[in-house]
Amino acid sequence: MRKILAVLALALSFSLAACTSGSSFDDSKNITVYTRDTTSGTRAGFMDGIGFAAAATSDDVLVEGFVIKDNTGIMTSMGTDEYGIGYVSLSSLNNTIKGLSYEGVAPTVANVLNNTYGLKRPFMWMTRDAGDYESTEIEQLVNAFVAFLGTSDAADIINNNGAIALDTTVTWDSIKAQHPITARNNANVTVRFGGSDSIQKVAQALTQAFSAKAGNFVAEHDHTGSGDAYKRTQTIGLSDPVSKHVAFASRYFKDTEKVGVAESAMGQLAWDAIVAIVHKNNPITNITAAQLKAIYDGTYSKWSDVVSE
Amino acid sequence: MQSKIQLNQTQKRHNQWLDNTIKYLLMGFAILSSSFIFIIAGVIMVKGVTPFITNNGGLGRVNLADFLTGTTWLIGESFNSNLYAIGFLIISTLFIAFLSLLISFPVGVLTALFIAKIAPKKLAETLRTVVEMLASIPSIIYGLFGAGIILKIVYDLSTLIGFQSKGGNSILSSVLVLAIMTIPTIASISEVAIRSVDKSIEHGSLALGASKTQTHFKVVLTSAKSGIFTSAILGIGRVLGEATAVSLVAGGRRSGINFNILDTTSTLTTMMLEGMKETTGLDYDIRFSVGIVLMVVILITNFTLNYIKRKVGNVDVK
Repeated sequence: MRKILAVLALALSFSLAACTSGSSFDDSKNITVYTRDTTSGTRAGFMDGIGFAAAATSDDVLVEGFVIKDNTGIMTSMGTDEYGIGYVSLSSLNNTIKGLSYEGVAPTVANVLNNTYGLKRPFMWMTRDAGDYESTEIEQLVNAFVAFLGTSDAADIINNNGAIALDTTVTWDSIKAQHPITARNNANVTVRFGGSDSIQKVAQALTQAFSAKAGNFVAEHDHTGSGDAYKRTQTIGLSDPVSKHVAFASRYFKDTEKVGVAESAMGQLAWDAIVAIVHKNNPITNITAAQLKAIYDGTYSKWSDVVSE
Repeated sequence: MQSKIQLNQTQKRHNQWLDNTIKYLLMGFAILSSSFIFIIAGVIMVKGVTPFITNNGGLGRVNLADFLTGTTWLIGESFNSNLYAIGFLIISTLFIAFLSLLISFPVGVLTALFIAKIAPKKLAETLRTVVEMLASIPSIIYGLFGAGIILKIVYDLSTLIGFQSKGGNSILSSVLVLAIMTIPTIASISEVAIRSVDKSIEHGSLALGASKTQTHFKVVLTSAKSGIFTSAILGIGRVLGEATAVSLVAGGRRSGINFNILDTTSTLTTMMLEGMKETTGLDYDIRFSVGIVLMVVILITNFTLNYIKRKVGNVDVK
């Protein structure tokens, strides 16, 4: 009994200590830097976004003593660690932590859609050139799928899977008459999807929903990275089994990738926004790309370095 | 008569056939179940040796000596570098295992002694059930408990003593999570060992005038020490092999040997786990190499402990 009481007393004293120390933020403390591991797509998006691309896949350019956590780990740590900083995808943001404005713009879905929030990356799609398909059925299905991406039906699926869909009011029911192919039974038609693995989850949810609306065609997914979106839809011939009909990229297509691609064969389906997060007690509300880079490369080691700016 | 003998013979032949069928069927199962170890070991070996003998898609061979002794997980870019090293991980893994055993061993053994000898029957039954339930909780639950509760406690504790810990992610948190996980293993096996101590030894001690407590500590525990040691071996096996729970509280240290219990750490298992699902090529294969090293570390630890156990010896136990 005495032991139990002692443990309870100890736990109580810890929670009391947490309460008293919670009210003041000491900016002479060191910054604890949290990051995802090098294979994370969010990390690549974040590091590219703040202009520290070298840190996307490399740990040794980062500040000494950083902490590696997964998405949930970073969220729970920011609830505990008053002096920490981390980043999560906008869809994970909640009120247990503080999401920082980036370059003066608050991280909200509206600001992402009106293009003022800067720390984001687009989810893009690219298809094969017109006429470059095994059969007209596949081509028509691909065209129907691209049309579906612009509908509010697709927007719901995109939002439910953690990305931010573009603004639209078109419903699939209103345009499906333009795509008579979807009224047929397409169970023997296979459409190959690929490209960015960050978009895989969203893409699979989209094709699953669309297949049911378009004669149950078979959607084959093989996501190997954004770079392959252009390569496998444009430069690899149909005879090669890795060639794709539709592929995705979690960044804008590079100028070299746009050469010779028709305007109608590529487009954007969604946004993915990344938010820098800190503990609720942290007084700062805004952060710039330069500050984030300075924190992550170790130039700024104390919170006073950031606040004094 | 003639027909009866014939019937007996058919019966006999039938029985023989049945015996043989069952025998080979069961033998098949036995071979199947024991061959899994070879299949698993084989796959791990082939995958794990690949980084050291092939060119790794143009990255070049990984140097085995550097791999085993280095103090930085990876120098350079993932997917574009072959400079992996896990020397510091081996040390921190053993360090964490040792510390957590330091907590869980006394607590577990004393719990077992209480349940087996001291507690009234009703309480003993309840406690045994609780300990057994504790043993069947999945490790990810321990990890979530650690991430939600222990990290906070360790963070506040370090603030109290004036150390700014990294959100509580530390050796201490890992050790606490692992200690809580291993207590039921140690307690339940030690309890069996303590129960199987011959009653006559105990009675002899009591008859000589020793008090109950003296008997429990000096006679019962020493008689059961072989079984208690076994519980420690199994406990340390669980500690060395645990990945999910530790990765939630360790902090994912990437370089440097660290003995500061309030600073971040990493173990062989957490390093294997991190980023596993999104990785390919050398970065994927090298995790199998870490797996081989982990198996070797566990084997060596177990052999050492078994050797000590034999030295410790055995007393008359049923």
